[in-house]
Amino acid sequence: MEKKSMQLSNNCLLDVQNVSMRFSRYASGILSLKELFVGLFTGKLKRDKIVSLQDISFQIHEGEAVAILGHNGAGKSTLLKVVSGILTPTKGRVTCRAKIAPLLNLGAGFDPNATGLENLFINGAILGMSRKELLAKKDKIIEFSELGDFINDPVKSYSSGMVARLGFSIAVHYDADILIVDEVLSVGDVAFNNKCNAKMQELRKQGLTFLVVSHSESVKELCSRSLWLNHGKLVADGDTEEVFKLYNRYMQEEFKNNNSNVGGLLVPAKGNIDNKQLKDVPNFLATVQEDSPVIEEFGGVSFDRVDEDKKDS
Amino acid sequence: MLPDNKLFSKKRLHDFQQKGYLLTLLVKRNVKNQYYRSFLGVLWTVLNPLLNMAVTALIFSILLRETPESMPYTVYILSGTIIFNLMRTATASSTSILVDYSSMLQKTKVSLGLFPTANTFSALATFFFSFIALILVSIYYAIVPDKSLAQRFFLNWQTIFVLLELPALVLFSLGISYFLTTLFVFFRDIKHLYESFILTLWSYLTPVFFTTKTFLDGAGSLRRFVIYGNPMYYFVNYFRDLIIGHGLSSSAWMQLLICYGWGIASFLVGFTVLHLSKNKIIAHL
Repeated sequence: MEKKSMQLSNNCLLDVQNVSMRFSRYASGILSLKELFVGLFTGKLKRDKIVSLQDISFQIHEGEAVAILGHNGAGKSTLLKVVSGILTPTKGRVTCRAKIAPLLNLGAGFDPNATGLENLFINGAILGMSRKELLAKKDKIIEFSELGDFINDPVKSYSSGMVARLGFSIAVHYDADILIVDEVLSVGDVAFNNKCNAKMQELRKQGLTFLVVSHSESVKELCSRSLWLNHGKLVADGDTEEVFKLYNRYMQEEFKNNNSNVGGLLVPAKGNIDNKQLKDVPNFLATVQEDSPVIEEFGGVSFDRVDEDKKDS
Repeated sequence: MLPDNKLFSKKRLHDFQQKGYLLTLLVKRNVKNQYYRSFLGVLWTVLNPLLNMAVTALIFSILLRETPESMPYTVYILSGTIIFNLMRTATASSTSILVDYSSMLQKTKVSLGLFPTANTFSALATFFFSFIALILVSIYYAIVPDKSLAQRFFLNWQTIFVLLELPALVLFSLGISYFLTTLFVFFRDIKHLYESFILTLWSYLTPVFFTTKTFLDGAGSLRRFVIYGNPMYYFVNYFRDLIIGHGLSSSAWMQLLICYGWGIASFLVGFTVLHLSKNKIIAHL
């Protein structure tokens, strides 16, 4: 382990090596003991193996901005989870020497009953900021969020834009080495949105590393390099322009073929793709699309439910 | 993160401090939320167990006519209740916590144990407030002695040793919390089963309201097992022994040892289950 990490060149922040991710779950999605028992007795219990990522390798160096493309359910969100250490890969290894800040689902986990300031501290600490850092950056964060005196009000009185603004300010002021951004990030009104984009460009110029999830060409401004994930495989890694050309051609082709030839096209011959896998792809696609959380949902803001009545008993 | 080979390094210490700080913030918030916007605020943390005790003591002293030998029945009930409630609140509030925080856990690298741990420590904080109530009631009985008692009840300085069992009880509750919160991700009926059935049954099988002596009077091996096989019996009993002021007798040490045995065993099981199911939990949330 130690030997391997020593081999990383100095400016390599993230090294993903042969990462595969497999999930197994009950096909029917059992959520209660009753269903489990009924299933056990009727013998209708089937386990599905879902391959979410297959043998993925890449490195991200300091100062790079990398976009991840792919259709819904291609494994983008799983890849992000593996990269940020939320999931441990089934196979392969991720070596990360960077502090990662997620810029997704801003305000997730804010406590509606606590004030903005309390949430600022809790959220910052969850990201990994220490007490010292938080005390030092508190004022800057509040200033950037433009919340003013509202910072002392409970978050439940905030508009969704205000929540997102606070979430964005905290994440941006955490001295992360890698910032994970969702493309559909829209924070508050147009003015603040522009401020966010400007801030991101500024950070980009300062040499911060970005990992952006995307479908559209708007990331071309930010990212020079792109990874294209297709059905859990990394099919292209290179210059954004080039990868987008391939990706667009593929998507058009797929649309024309109407799923009759999914996955067969443009998959580089790595030698390990057999015909059986290709045949499975339409089925596999169907399972993945149903089950995996769709990235596009991240743009909105949601509160975590905090039941008050269950706390005192 | 890069593997950190040194057991003690500056980075480790920093991480540890940071985690501790985060935990304090969460516990503070939880305690604040518990009595959020109520008129008397934090006073309720003391009032709540007092009122609770008043009702149960009234009802059970009429129904059961129990007379514990060495302490007033109200103190007996209150001491049993607050120690049992520490475990109850910690575990019950942790059961659904992973699901409640699912959107955050899926996007931020947070240890899965963080929120159950914060809830358990919040229960510990609440316990200390309740403990104040217990001290108040004890002081009352020290001034106005209960005449039905054979000897006068009073607190002495050795009562402070009740604190020795708290780490064991926290470990015990943490273990159950980790285990339940993992199970809840996969089987949502666990919450109902645990809160309304297991906890209720458990609280009635633990000598909170009745005395062990009357329960075991001429009892068979099943009754003995119900008492001596129940970890909460030792936690409650040790607590009471020291409230009475028996001090750290050899039997108290023995009970303390059993408490730590249960605590460590429970923690290890819960911790292992939680961490082995990490990927499955994230995929299932």
